[in-house]
Amino acid sequence: MIAESFTLGKRALTKWTRNPFAVIVTSIQALFWLALFGSSFNPANALASSAGSLGPLQQAFGGASNYITFLTPGVISIVALTGMSFMGVDLVFDRINGYMDVLRAFPIPRTSIYFGGVIQNVAKGMVAAPITFALALLVPNGLHLAPGFGVLNLVGVFAVVALLTTVFATFFTGIAISVKSTDTFFAAVNFLTFPFMFTSSAFFPLSFFPDWLKPVAQANPITLASDAMRLLIVNSNLGTSQVLALGGDLAGLALFGVIFATAGILMARNALKAR
Amino acid sequence: MGNIIEADSLTKSFESSRRVVDGASFSVGAGEVFSLLGPNGAGKTTTIRMLTTLTAITEGTAIIAGHDVNKDPKAVREAIGVVPQEVTLDNELKGIENLLLTAKLQHVPDSEAKTRSMELLRLVELDEFAGKRVGTYSGGMKRRLQLVAALVHQPKILFLDEPTVGLDIQTRTKIWDYIGQLNEEQGVTIFMTTHYLEEADQLSDVVAIMDHGTVKVAGTPKELKASLHGDVLTLTVEGGREDLTIFLKSIPGVIEVTRTDDTYRLKLPKVEAALPQIVTSIASRGLTITETSFSKPTLDQVFLEVTGRSLRDAEEGNGHSDVYADVHGRETR
Repeated sequence: MIAESFTLGKRALTKWTRNPFAVIVTSIQALFWLALFGSSFNPANALASSAGSLGPLQQAFGGASNYITFLTPGVISIVALTGMSFMGVDLVFDRINGYMDVLRAFPIPRTSIYFGGVIQNVAKGMVAAPITFALALLVPNGLHLAPGFGVLNLVGVFAVVALLTTVFATFFTGIAISVKSTDTFFAAVNFLTFPFMFTSSAFFPLSFFPDWLKPVAQANPITLASDAMRLLIVNSNLGTSQVLALGGDLAGLALFGVIFATAGILMARNALKAR
Repeated sequence: MGNIIEADSLTKSFESSRRVVDGASFSVGAGEVFSLLGPNGAGKTTTIRMLTTLTAITEGTAIIAGHDVNKDPKAVREAIGVVPQEVTLDNELKGIENLLLTAKLQHVPDSEAKTRSMELLRLVELDEFAGKRVGTYSGGMKRRLQLVAALVHQPKILFLDEPTVGLDIQTRTKIWDYIGQLNEEQGVTIFMTTHYLEEADQLSDVVAIMDHGTVKVAGTPKELKASLHGDVLTLTVEGGREDLTIFLKSIPGVIEVTRTDDTYRLKLPKVEAALPQIVTSIASRGLTITETSFSKPTLDQVFLEVTGRSLRDAEEGNGHSDVYADVHGRETR
C-alpha cells in the first residue's frame, strides 16, 4: 500500500510541477497577507510608534518586536489551510474525469488512493511555507528573527508546518475524494476555512479574544501551529515553560492529526467502495 | 475453450430507481471478442461496471476468469484491464510516462515495464510520440494510448466501454483494426459495449443484444442475421400485366413474395445463389427487369425483430444523445 501511495503522490506532483500555476498563486496569496493585511491591520499604526515597533504590546504579541514577526507564522498556517482548496481539487477532477474509477479497478488497496492524495497535498502545501518565510524577511519592516536564530529553529519551524499541513491534508483529502463536483468541494472548503481562520491566533493574540471564544481559539490547529512557530522565531533558546508550551502545541496538533485522519479515511473508504 | 466470463441473472437497482440491469445472463468464451449492443440507457455501462468491480451487484452472480466478482473482487481486478468511456490519461505526462505509471500501479516489474510499454506503443503506432506529452495528442491518439494503457499488465480480459464513441468514422475504423489486432496478437479476451451496429458487426465473435436491462439474444453476427431467414431481393418488372407472384414463388429457394404494382419483394436464404435463375426465368417469359436491389440482413433488423423497434428509433425514443448518456452514467455512480 505504501508503494502505491507514493506512486500516486509522485504522479500528482509531476503533473503539478509541469503546470506550476498553483505555486505562483499560493506565493502571491502569501504576499497579499503579509504586505496588504500586514500593513493595514498593523496595531503599531494605532500606537504611532517609531519604525513600526509594537512597544507596550510586544508582550501580548508573544514577544514579537513588530507585527510582521507575529503575523508570519499565522500567514504560513493560513496558507497551509487555504492551499488545500486548490491542491485538493486535482482529486475532485480525478473523480470527475473517470481516473478514480480506473484506479478502483486496479488491484491496489483503495486506501492507497487516499494516502496518495494526502502525500500530494502535503508536498504541495509545504512548498508555500519557505516562500512565505522568505517573503516575510524581504518586505519592509518585516520578519525579525531572534538573535541566535539557528538551523535548529528553522528546522523546527518547518517541522511544525509539515505537521499542520499533514493535519489539514488528512481531512481535506477525505473531503476531496468524497465530493462529486468542484462546486461542492469549494463550498465545503470555504465553509470550513473561515471558522478555522478567524477563531485562531493567526492575526491577533488570544488575549484579544472574548472569553467565550478563547477555549475554541486555543484548540484550533492554526493557533497551535502559529504559537509553536512563534516560540521558535522569537526565542533563540527555549526555557522550560516554553518547551512545555511547544510540547503542548505539538501534542495538540498530533491529536488533531489522529482525529482528522480517521475522519478522512472513513470518508474516502465510503466514497471509494462499490455501491 | 471454456468460458472466461459467466454472468447469471445480473441485476442492478439503485435506490428509488428502476432496475437498470434486470436479470442479464450471458457468457463469453476465452479469446473471444464479445459485444454488448444496445441503445443508450439499455444498461450496458452498468453491466460493465458490475463486472469490473466498480458497482455492487444487487442480485445475481458474475464469474470472471474463475473468480466470483462478489466474493473476490481483488482477484478479478488482477485479471482485467478496463478502458472507460472517458479519456483518463494525464495530459501533463508523456505517452510513455502514462504507461509506466499504470505498469507500476499494476505491479509490473520495472525491468519489464519499459519494454512492454514500448512494444504496446509500437502496436498502436505511437512509438514516435512516446516522449511527447499527452496534452499534445489528438483525440484518436489518446484513445489508442488509453487502449494499450489497459494492457501493460497483460490482463486476461480487456473491458472496453464504448471504445469509439464520439470519434469520426476514419479514426473509428482505425481503432477497430487495433482492437482486432490486440485480440489476435495478445490473445486477450475482449468485452465491449457499443451502440454502433457496424462496430458490433465488424469486430465481434459474439454479439449480445441488450435492451431495458436484459440480454434479449446472443450469438455470432452471422447466426443472428441468419435467424432472420434470408436476404431480401427487390425487382421491378416492365411489360405484361400478369401477376408474377405465384410464378416467382415456384422458383427454388424463394421463401416469400410480396407485390406492389410492378415491384416484387422476394425473401430468400441467399440472394446470390438464386439470382441467375430468377433473371433467366423472367427473361424467358419475355419480360424485362428494369430495377433490382437486394439487402443482406443487418443487426439492426435483428434488433428490430427481438425488441420490436430499430436501434436508431430506440436511441431517439429514449431522447438520449451521447452527452446525455455520459451525464446519466455519472449520476448513477
